Amino acid sequence: MADMILTEKNLVSRHSMLELAEHWLIAISGLILFLSGMFELPMSNRYYISSVPGLAWSADFITSLYIHYFAAIIFIAAGLFHLVYHGIRGENGMIPQKGDMAASVTIIKSLFGFGKEPPMHKYLPEQRLAYVGMVFIMAMLIISGMIKTYKNIYAQDMSLTVVLMATWIHNIFFVLFFLAFLAHMAAIALRPNWPMVRGIFTGFVRLDYARHRHSLWIADIEKVDLAQVAEAPEIVLPAIEAEPLPELQTTLLTHIEGEPTKINDETTKQQEISED
Amino acid sequence: MNDQKIAKMGRRSFLQITAGAAALVGVSLPRNAQADSNSQLSTIIDLSLCDGCADRETPACVSSCKTINKDKIPKVVDKIPEPWPRKTIEDWSKKKEVTNRLTPYNFIYIHKAEIETAGRKQIIFVPRRCMHCDNPACATICPFSANHKMKNGAVVIDQNLCFGGAKCKTVCPWEIPQRQSGVGVYLHVLPNLMGNGVMYKCDLCDDRLKEGKLPGCVEACPRKAMIIGPKKDMEKLALERARQINGFIYGKAQNGGTATLYVSPVSFDLINKSIQKKPGQPDMKQEVVRRMAGTDNPAKAVLIAPVLGLVAAGAFGWFARRKEMVKKEGNNNG
Repeated sequence: MADMILTEKNLVSRHSMLELAEHWLIAISGLILFLSGMFELPMSNRYYISSVPGLAWSADFITSLYIHYFAAIIFIAAGLFHLVYHGIRGENGMIPQKGDMAASVTIIKSLFGFGKEPPMHKYLPEQRLAYVGMVFIMAMLIISGMIKTYKNIYAQDMSLTVVLMATWIHNIFFVLFFLAFLAHMAAIALRPNWPMVRGIFTGFVRLDYARHRHSLWIADIEKVDLAQVAEAPEIVLPAIEAEPLPELQTTLLTHIEGEPTKINDETTKQQEISED
Repeated sequence: MNDQKIAKMGRRSFLQITAGAAALVGVSLPRNAQADSNSQLSTIIDLSLCDGCADRETPACVSSCKTINKDKIPKVVDKIPEPWPRKTIEDWSKKKEVTNRLTPYNFIYIHKAEIETAGRKQIIFVPRRCMHCDNPACATICPFSANHKMKNGAVVIDQNLCFGGAKCKTVCPWEIPQRQSGVGVYLHVLPNLMGNGVMYKCDLCDDRLKEGKLPGCVEACPRKAMIIGPKKDMEKLALERARQINGFIYGKAQNGGTATLYVSPVSFDLINKSIQKKPGQPDMKQEVVRRMAGTDNPAKAVLIAPVLGLVAAGAFGWFARRKEMVKKEGNNNG
């Protein structure tokens, strides 16, 4: 789905329903894999986790294995779907670009009050770098996990070297996956990123936030909108000529029960800033 | 190099196996047995022949095993770290002489089964050790792959990789592996928080097999009650022997199949009734389900999950493109 500005609601669509489904399927199955993977270590009984009411099952390695396999089916299928679907559609906004490393440093410094953030695209440079890191971690977990799975069903006497490599890759990337998850949570905890959180739940972020922080993204959307308008002038142009620009309309005319909304006030300010 | 050694073992042991087998059942092994000896091995333990070495202080198989493995476990640290929060420490280093159960220092013991059938008392001696399962959960789900099934069927724990979490013991239907605390790699990581020693059990004398020798217990048995050979031949032989003595087999079906086939003149139900299951003294119940078998189908689904993802991506991609084309055509026509 192409990103869309809903000026009246002060929103801009950031993720389609499909993207939300991909994210949450991978996130939830990933967390289940993490927990059931932890329970594949002999820790539940030792740490009395199995004594907690409702968690007795966690000491049973075979139960955890069932859970691990079911979650892995979703994790692998959704992960591959994501890569291939967006790959064939040429949606590469999360692929790192030249200069992302330096830009990430500038942004991280600005989060702590040093310097100013540069204008940004839909995804932040550090988001793009983190994305590639996570893809790599997931890929290693999936490949090593599948070798282990194949061994469990078909080849218990598989070459010990291969089994050891798969096992240690799986264990090391299991730790890296957890660290990457912590980093993901830490990024959400940073105040400037808060407005993006609603995006991953609803698919939309506030337009004033997007204009302020992701000005290059909004400019792209508006460029596309204008191009579409130019492609079909006989229908759209008269409507545009007959009415004020959407932003102006929002600023001047949108009221809820006769009173201007606070959001619209903010929108107005943002627009003034950007016009300056 | 190893392959050559195994092949050598195949030829040498084949002769001993054949001699033992011929004595056992009065038939010779099929001719192709020698060619198969590089593949998975199996042992037969004939309970009609084992007399528990009544004339010896320690049964020959037990004492041979102890001699071969006497230096296997490194010196246990003086002060074994106390695990946290569950404070279980298992230290057998001062009870190395125990031979009536499985311990980290004793990988085989003899169970004496006193059985009464039709008013007649009978004593059966049952050597007990790791069964070397065909699909050993203890090995396949070891979190560090410290436990592995070798090509020859031996299930072997690498004491340099084992953390002693005892997961292998928990998933083993006979709870065979035994822990020695205060040794192993865990001492160098987080000894109080992670791991608790090393798990030990029979490894079918894998090193000896690779050198072309027989497992210690098989070699030492004065009654030739134990023999080892290619799995298919051993299964055939066990069936033949059971038929000959109108007896019973244990280990072929249990836990999805094992590389240890007990042949007995009395039923294993009766033998099992004579066993009081205790730590280090496993029972012999007939019904031993391989619990991991249930996970095979979900595991197969894991292996085809990438195809699911690819097909779904292709289908969604096609629909999305088609939707865009229809929209574009609509715009052009409208």
